[in-house]
Amino acid sequence: MKLSRNSSLLLFIPALLFMSIPLYGLVTAVSQSLSDSGTWTFDYYRQLFQSERFMASLWFSLRTSLAATLLSIILGMAFTRFFHTLLEKMAPRLTVWIPMLFPHFVWGYMVILLLSETGVLSQLALLTGGIADTDEFPILTRDPYGIGIILTYVWKEVPLVILMLLPVYTSIRPEYYALVDTLGGTAWNRFFTVEVPHLLPVLIETILIVFSFTLSAYEVPAMLGTTFPEMISVLSYDWFYGSSWEDRPLAFASMVCVSFLLLVVSLLMYLYLNKARWRAMRGSRS
Amino acid sequence: MSSITLEIKQITKQFHSDLVLNGLSFQLQKGEIMSVVGPSGSGKTTLLRVLAGLEKPTNGTIYMNGRDVTKQKANRRDISLVFQQPLLFPHMSVEENVAYGAKVSKKYTQEKVDTLLEAIGMTKYRSHFPSEISGGQQQRTALARAMATEPEVILFDEPFSSLDPSLRQGLRYWVRNFLVEQETTAIFVTHDMEEAMIMGDQIAVFQEGKFQQIGAAKVLHESPANMKVASFMGGHLILNDQEYVPLQAIELSSSPFKEDTQTFEGTVEHITYQHGRPIAHIEIKESGAKVPLPLTNDEQLQNEVFLSIPVSSIQRFRGTIDE
Repeated sequence: MKLSRNSSLLLFIPALLFMSIPLYGLVTAVSQSLSDSGTWTFDYYRQLFQSERFMASLWFSLRTSLAATLLSIILGMAFTRFFHTLLEKMAPRLTVWIPMLFPHFVWGYMVILLLSETGVLSQLALLTGGIADTDEFPILTRDPYGIGIILTYVWKEVPLVILMLLPVYTSIRPEYYALVDTLGGTAWNRFFTVEVPHLLPVLIETILIVFSFTLSAYEVPAMLGTTFPEMISVLSYDWFYGSSWEDRPLAFASMVCVSFLLLVVSLLMYLYLNKARWRAMRGSRS
Repeated sequence: MSSITLEIKQITKQFHSDLVLNGLSFQLQKGEIMSVVGPSGSGKTTLLRVLAGLEKPTNGTIYMNGRDVTKQKANRRDISLVFQQPLLFPHMSVEENVAYGAKVSKKYTQEKVDTLLEAIGMTKYRSHFPSEISGGQQQRTALARAMATEPEVILFDEPFSSLDPSLRQGLRYWVRNFLVEQETTAIFVTHDMEEAMIMGDQIAVFQEGKFQQIGAAKVLHESPANMKVASFMGGHLILNDQEYVPLQAIELSSSPFKEDTQTFEGTVEHITYQHGRPIAHIEIKESGAKVPLPLTNDEQLQNEVFLSIPVSSIQRFRGTIDE
């Protein structure tokens, strides 16, 4: 018993060491953003929220991430709902998960190759007479609305949503659907009474993962975004690696803001899922 | 004059080459309760699913109050189904579960929900979640939820099979009384003959896709239609596919010869006790059949016995399925 407890602690050490790296980063970022030549200050945060560039970037980032997250969730959920019986077979499941094998920047290149003004689709449209000149092709990459970024993320994250939701869909007992039918319920009743409560914890978890990633990841917006407005990760990177050392604390402050926002959202979601109703869903007694 | 609530005519259901339901016909008067009893895997649940509208019959017609509902979808039929498991929505309280049935069927009133909670003795637990109440309470809530839709007919698919025996016994009487009080027409499916006799006004013995016999418990016991019914009822020694003898007519003796009797040699395998009486489980050497025979308390049995059957007590199977 003692040995088992000790071995559990030993096994926990690598995880702890791994977590210490981002934790160190977070603590350093917070301390750097709050100090100026050794004295505590909120000056960088004041500068940040007075900066038009930062506010435009924050708004653009939130809008783009939210759009990418919601589209990924809706498409992934719809796909899982209608094809989960098919996806239980190995071949279709692997086909759906192929995009997950590629890193985000590879997928970004593919989107550029396909959807840029000189990309494959544009050339095909030109060949088939759909457009007379490549200038007529809509700007889908490096566009001011973040369409390219959203498309890349949606394409890349839909398989993740399917991966997360598929086990839930396959675990829903079909008798529940029959029950709703015999009580007089409709397809909407089936969805909202049977599926949504089962999906909710995983759905919230997936939303958090996708939203956190799309809000803070760098490669895709760096490749497919514009210079103004830019995603907050790109702006922070510029401030961090830019020629001016004075901008570094701003990079830390902006990333701390993003981390704080994600932390608050996660906490709210956790508190919501910890309500008696959802604890009961997991079978626990209050 | 009592009206016919449910009538089915020549219902068949085929899955690939398997004929699960083979030309079933019966009718139920308003407030009547029928038990359908048969071995596991005989197609009883399929029958309920066809009646509820969850499966389409291959052939045949279903009438409710004289109206053909065969092609009507499950959610349009005035039939509720109580499943083997309570299937309460885990994120809803007891009250919300009951109210849900009323709301989706657009027959919601708070007064009705309160009355049903009162009727099932769950008023005190109305705000509890399913994970916080017992299996019996869950099944009672499931029944109230089904009743909240005010169905013309309520179907039960072995609702007590997941409960422990003591709880099951109490709940049987409670559900039976509840249905009688509410004058609800019901079909109760079970594989337990005792349960079928407690729950139903009439019992339909279902095997091999057909009703082997439909009738009151007394009729089924006193004149079984065939050896399948006799075998399921369990109170007879089946001599051949034409003849049987009630167990109470069999005498045990240590000597083989008696006048006007048919005698079989048997081995006592076990003695068990049921309802305070000893039961001898005897294997008949000639046929290998096993019969449980009630004994008088002071009867001393040897291992090898003779079963004497008066020729006058041998009866022939009735053959017809209806009373």
